[in-house]
Amino acid sequence: MSTEQQGAVPLDGNAAGGLLGELFAVDVTAAEITCGGCGAVAAIGAVRVYGGSMGAILRCAHCDTVVLAITHTPAGLWLDLHGARKMFVARPDATRAI
Amino acid sequence: MTATETPVARRLQWMTARVTDVIDETPRVRRLVLEIPGWPGHKAGQHVDVRLTAEDGYQAQRSYSIAAAPKALQVTLTVERLSDGEVSSYLAGDLRVGDQFELRGPIGGYFVWTAALGGPLFLVAGGSGVVPLMAMLRHRAAAKSNVPATLLYSSRSGSDIIYRAELDRLAGQGDGLTVVHTLTRERPPGWSGPARRIDRAMLQSVGFAPDAKPRIFVCGPTPLVEAAASDLRDLGHAPQLIKTERFGPTGR
Repeated sequence: MSTEQQGAVPLDGNAAGGLLGELFAVDVTAAEITCGGCGAVAAIGAVRVYGGSMGAILRCAHCDTVVLAITHTPAGLWLDLHGARKMFVARPDATRAI
Repeated sequence: MTATETPVARRLQWMTARVTDVIDETPRVRRLVLEIPGWPGHKAGQHVDVRLTAEDGYQAQRSYSIAAAPKALQVTLTVERLSDGEVSSYLAGDLRVGDQFELRGPIGGYFVWTAALGGPLFLVAGGSGVVPLMAMLRHRAAAKSNVPATLLYSSRSGSDIIYRAELDRLAGQGDGLTVVHTLTRERPPGWSGPARRIDRAMLQSVGFAPDAKPRIFVCGPTPLVEAAASDLRDLGHAPQLIKTERFGPTGR
């Protein structure tokens, strides 16, 4: 990956890994997020990301609901999860079918 | 899982990377070899964020895939110089051995392959999208994995192929790796390989059958990634086995 051009065109959720890593001690790009709009379940790495280094909006690939927004402001970091029903973070040592 | 592979939960911190070597891979692409005190190690497919700060405080930040295999002694990035790229024009231009810049990582546990995940492994690359996939192939070779693997790699011309010699060498080891190049603009004399953009027929003839349940990683410019992912789904590959990483509008 090289994200020299960012902004209007979505990237994959993976591209927000750095921003999210400022907040979460575990990697959440592999976590599954359940869309609050349509109930679709997807890895955060698989949803669409709009934004850049100062903030990002993650949208459900099925219904376009904003499942997660993260924004830097001079006062601090905002995390908006109201468009998500839940998030699942697998244990690092757990094995799953996929 | 050995102790060295056990991930330690920690938040990302900016670290200082020092450039120890700069190698031209192609006329437009450079390998940066970095020394990063405190680097925790990485998995194949992960990336880093690079942050440059100008004297007036202006900051620019971009993401770059890690090119090195996980257990390599040094971290290497591969950077393509884009004509309008304010970060890449420095990293692939003015930067010299001994220079330092800020970096954080490794980032991302989604677009990742480890030998333990098995295969078959089908990698689809456009341009410098080959970088994270190369980390996977280097890891595969270092781990002495012989899971069947195929790299389908689209470049504009023969001289734009990144890692060409290394790919030739890896594919010649007879351990189950096949590399197929397609050249979209210019072909060297006598070129007998594919000479068009990656399309459904090429994905079908070069890749594995859906029944083999290959793990598929696609990386490149957005149009290539979206077209390939759509074609792969139409060919019958399960969506959860197709992982994508886009550069952006053109990536070129």
